[in-house]
Amino acid sequence: MDGILIQGGHVVDPQNGIDAEADVLLLGDKVAAVARMTEADVRANHRGLERLQIVNARGLVVTPGLIDLRVHVGEPGRDAEETIAAAAQTALHGGFTTIAVMPDTDPPLDNVAGALFVQRQGERAGFAQVVPVCALTRGRAGEELCEIGQLVEAGAVAFSDEQRPTDTPGAILRGMSYASMFDRPVIEVSQDLSIAGGAMNAGYEASLAGVPGIPAVAEELAVARACMFARETGCHYHAALLSTRNAVRAVKRARRLGVRVTGEVCAHHLALTDAEVRKAYDTNLKVFPPLRTREDVAWLRRGLAEGVIDCISSGHRGVAPQDKELEFGTAPFGALGLETALAVTLTHLVQAGVLGLSQAIAKLTCNPARVLRLQARKGSLTAGADADVALIDPKHEWTVSAGSLFSLRKNSPLLGLKLQGRVRSVIARGRLHELGG
Amino acid sequence: MNQDDTEQAPARWTRKDLLGLEELTREELLHLLDTARGFSEISTRSIKKAPALRGKVVLNLFFEPSTRTKSSFSLAAQRLSADLVDVVKEASSAAKGESLVDTGRNLEAMGVDIVIVRHQQAGAPHLLARSLKASVINAGDGTHEHPTQGLLDIFTMREKLGELAGKKVALVGDITHSRVARSNIWGLRKLGVEVGVIGPRTLIPGAFRELGVNVHYHMDEVLGHYDVFNILRIQMERQRRGMFPSVREYHHLYGIDQTRLAKMKPGVLIMHPGPINRGVEISHEVADGPNSVILQQVSNGLAVRMAALVLTQSAREAANP
Repeated sequence: MDGILIQGGHVVDPQNGIDAEADVLLLGDKVAAVARMTEADVRANHRGLERLQIVNARGLVVTPGLIDLRVHVGEPGRDAEETIAAAAQTALHGGFTTIAVMPDTDPPLDNVAGALFVQRQGERAGFAQVVPVCALTRGRAGEELCEIGQLVEAGAVAFSDEQRPTDTPGAILRGMSYASMFDRPVIEVSQDLSIAGGAMNAGYEASLAGVPGIPAVAEELAVARACMFARETGCHYHAALLSTRNAVRAVKRARRLGVRVTGEVCAHHLALTDAEVRKAYDTNLKVFPPLRTREDVAWLRRGLAEGVIDCISSGHRGVAPQDKELEFGTAPFGALGLETALAVTLTHLVQAGVLGLSQAIAKLTCNPARVLRLQARKGSLTAGADADVALIDPKHEWTVSAGSLFSLRKNSPLLGLKLQGRVRSVIARGRLHELGG
Repeated sequence: MNQDDTEQAPARWTRKDLLGLEELTREELLHLLDTARGFSEISTRSIKKAPALRGKVVLNLFFEPSTRTKSSFSLAAQRLSADLVDVVKEASSAAKGESLVDTGRNLEAMGVDIVIVRHQQAGAPHLLARSLKASVINAGDGTHEHPTQGLLDIFTMREKLGELAGKKVALVGDITHSRVARSNIWGLRKLGVEVGVIGPRTLIPGAFRELGVNVHYHMDEVLGHYDVFNILRIQMERQRRGMFPSVREYHHLYGIDQTRLAKMKPGVLIMHPGPINRGVEISHEVADGPNSVILQQVSNGLAVRMAALVLTQSAREAANP
């Protein structure tokens, strides 16, 4: 058996309450121990060890490999945008060793073959582990239910239709009721398109830009309704893509009433507002839900600090340049995020004093692991967990640019912005990946 | 306009593009209006030609139908001795596989110096301006801005009322979907004008209050307050989408007729960017009456567009000698 000893780092493992200098020993593809230990200790205690790699982590923060709950890949169907293998490799550059891919592929992930295909593509690539979020209804159409029981057996970690073409509350209520049998969360993000049919946040900036708006109330409506359905069914509702003040408040109210609801925010919603959108009609800033106001951002931060928002995701979606070099209204929604989510968290939350380092890391590790029911293997450095580790230089300052991103696609909404914190290397299921930059 | 003025221009105007009035400083705005005043004299000559753009190519790239703006730009370019190319694109050209940027680059490769673009989407001229070395003039982008219309409205108000600071101007109608309204608001506010918008609540962005604009839903309460009523065309399509209940109700609440005109200040200016729905937003009598300056607006459009063509072109040449 091979081992890796990570020495002298500042270990932050929120699940186990560790926030101190320590050494981490990985044996094979599992975590063996977090303690103070020397190479000699390890060799003495593990005589069967064939090879022991020593990683010097002095000055670095050592965390469980990060988990991203929201990655949109182009495979199957739109491979030219970004393949599963490419996304899984890009993920490592952002410290993510597990990514949940969303079912809005073509065809959608609404069947066992699709769920298995995604995982197999991930295994073949051998970078971050890829787990599928499957559709709640066939074709994401909001009518017939998917075979949720069999999809769970095939590895589905959650269920979501993403944005549906039409709004069908009855089907969603039935779906949540049915899914509750299998202890998997339902991620409900669909907004009524008769309200939310615009291209940027409705309000002052959209009014001046002359761009049709997406009103905040459309999101509040979707979130509040899903909270009611969770209350009625007992289903775990995971409120992803929270971007507005009143949606955060709706989650907070439901939690206070004991409804099983968890919250998630995409990192770019913490760093940017709709004022940036109007400046240049930059289609890299066209995301769904749209970038909102400063006040909304303040509420998202508050939601994170109060624990109403449990998780931070990247919302990553690679878009080919010819599709972003279009009129603002025509260009598709979507932004990169895998390589910047951690740095945005460190810069805009930890540096800004909103969250402590351990609190922030929890929102990228053990909290998403619990949402996706992966906590036995992922999201912590508990002995026996998968040997997934991120080594982060928390002081490294960098400017996001096309050249600084590993990703094939460059549609980052943060281009030109300064961030602090960069991943130096990751270990994904026992395999060390040294990263440049 | 004499040669000396043209040569001075780059110092006071350094923009290769005219995309909106929002980003202009007060000085740039005034410089543009003053330059236009010089050109308005050309229209009164028997030979209506100036050599400023001789050898330059101006392209009209229109993705939306337009009669008056396109012919106004065409005439402006021809009076400045430029060569003119007209390209009218169907809205669906993107579906045929060529993007706006590719269309622009291809036409630029044929030696176009100035692109006049009208497009149904806000920000389309900005995309083009970023991608091309040619000057880009926005001839209306979605519901964002229509800077030359704003300029010709302001030019006409200055011509009739003199100094505009302290004057009061009302914009009436569908403000939400009006690029003319936005350009008027930006330009007029920079010149110290009190601006009000009047119309049904479903067609006025509440956020405009944050710009210091008065918002009125009941026109009859403010008829005596304003010096200018700039009346926007109401689009029947908005009624079908449920933005207001009926043309009859719209006319009842916001139509300008002799009765309402009688309650306005004497000498009030009645303006309209056209095309007019006679009998809907404005009555026949008022449109053709003594307070109406609707046709002067059209004449002034030429001068303003000549100024925009000359200034953007000389700024581009100054930047790339």
